[in-house]
Amino acid sequence: MQLTRRKFLLLSSALCTSLILGNEAEAAEGKYATLIDLTKCDGCKGESIPKCVHACREYNKSRFPEPKKPIQPYWPRKTYEDWSDKKDLIDTLTPYNWIFVQKININGTEINIPIRCMHCDNPPCVRQCPFGALTKQPEGNSVINDKLCFGGAKCRDVCPWQIPQRQAGVGLYLDLLPKYAGGGVMYKCDLCKDKIKVGEEPACVVACRERLGEKAVFTFGKRMEIYSLAKNAKEKGLYVYGDKQNGGTSTLYLSSLPFELIEKALLEKKERFKMPLNVKNKIETTFNPIGKVILASGFLSMTGAIIGALASKRSSKEVKEDE
Amino acid sequence: MSRKIKRHTLVELIEHWSIAISGIVLLFTGLGCLPLYKRYYITELPGFGWTADFYTVTTIHYIAAIVFVSAVIFHIFYHGIRKDFALLPKKGDLLKSIKVILAMFGLAKEPPLEKYLPEQRIAYVGIGFLIILLIATGIIKVLKNLEWIILSPTAESINTLIHTITGFLFVLTFIVHVAVVLFIPSNWPLLKSMFTGYVDEEYAKHRHSLWYEKIRNN
Repeated sequence: MQLTRRKFLLLSSALCTSLILGNEAEAAEGKYATLIDLTKCDGCKGESIPKCVHACREYNKSRFPEPKKPIQPYWPRKTYEDWSDKKDLIDTLTPYNWIFVQKININGTEINIPIRCMHCDNPPCVRQCPFGALTKQPEGNSVINDKLCFGGAKCRDVCPWQIPQRQAGVGLYLDLLPKYAGGGVMYKCDLCKDKIKVGEEPACVVACRERLGEKAVFTFGKRMEIYSLAKNAKEKGLYVYGDKQNGGTSTLYLSSLPFELIEKALLEKKERFKMPLNVKNKIETTFNPIGKVILASGFLSMTGAIIGALASKRSSKEVKEDE
Repeated sequence: MSRKIKRHTLVELIEHWSIAISGIVLLFTGLGCLPLYKRYYITELPGFGWTADFYTVTTIHYIAAIVFVSAVIFHIFYHGIRKDFALLPKKGDLLKSIKVILAMFGLAKEPPLEKYLPEQRIAYVGIGFLIILLIATGIIKVLKNLEWIILSPTAESINTLIHTITGFLFVLTFIVHVAVVLFIPSNWPLLKSMFTGYVDEEYAKHRHSLWYEKIRNN
């Protein structure tokens, strides 16, 4: 059978379609979003541990890392990231704590900010993981595959919020080149991926509502509805964070204070996690324009090659005198 | 009087070197897309500070890809239409390659050769296959970043993995390619022709007798 141009095009388009669509495919923006209303969060005053943090740790504890000791340093460096002795830390993000409540005092007002992965619309961690260990699910959540993760921590470096946390001594790298490449596995919130897959709410959302009822901090729901809730709140004078940052996310914060003040306070206090206001999605602002040039120049080059080849006459005599 | 024989046209030289140079940049920045340079102190070498920022590294990777993709597409269509198929493997090339490689180390007598060495033809197809795989998966990456295509999570993972693993194989073939040219003196005339486009008649007569005869008969 001869492969004609028509057959080739048919074949390749069929291949592309099956690759592209799969059965899990969805629109770029996820199905769900979360509203985090800071005006309602008191950091679970009187509780030994905030409800959202507790629920997250309970629900996900079976997935926490159990590193093999002794842990090798990241050769040629002498360091490694090990949180296994600090499993009880609840006031920051670790491989054992995927959400925490940041407390910050702004002009006498105490603000409590539950912090976890924002679940970006075009997540840099997912797009840039060299092992494809991160995926963006149709629900809108970014998920780390702990079986495939090498623990290079690139996802943390490219994340505008440095959310993913690394634990050494676990994961695939131990089976390959444990001394020379890889550093463990990265951990972060994945919005309780198995729960939301079947239409349930993430553990933190449920726990918050159990304490505060109608006045719960978290509202989890259809993305469109969450975005319109935020829009209404904005019209009533509240400030919104997360709708524009990094090209849009599926986590929207509401605050009665401008986020400029929160950003400034977190910076001044040198907190580990910050809320930068001006976050550009460099995939969209830098990579994509060049990406278009790659595609266009590919087509131009093809056209040039066809014209050039047709115009060229093969010279039969290819010998010339040396001068 | 020593005569020279044209081995490569200007178009071919431009193709080769634009693929080579952009390929080296892609290779270096591609490796830099893995979280390794910081760990291995590359980012601290003078002049290499930029490798610490994944966004800068990837941007340069993208820019080099413009040249690489254009040159490879040009190569395929230009020579495909012209039917310049001298670099495609022929029957018996595998066996002949072994002889040629042994001959490079003085362990066998080289059989009479065409314009390209049989192992060059096999290597061409091998590297070509890797390059096509790299470009295809790379373009899919560009398209999904543009969100012109939405991949299923599994497809995105597989595509990324293929690009990364093929990249490693490309590094290996690149090293072999350069080593075979640089360290084996019998190949040095070929290196020269990759710059000038010409080889000495004596060399062609001696090593590429089948090609030489063909040109002479034309």
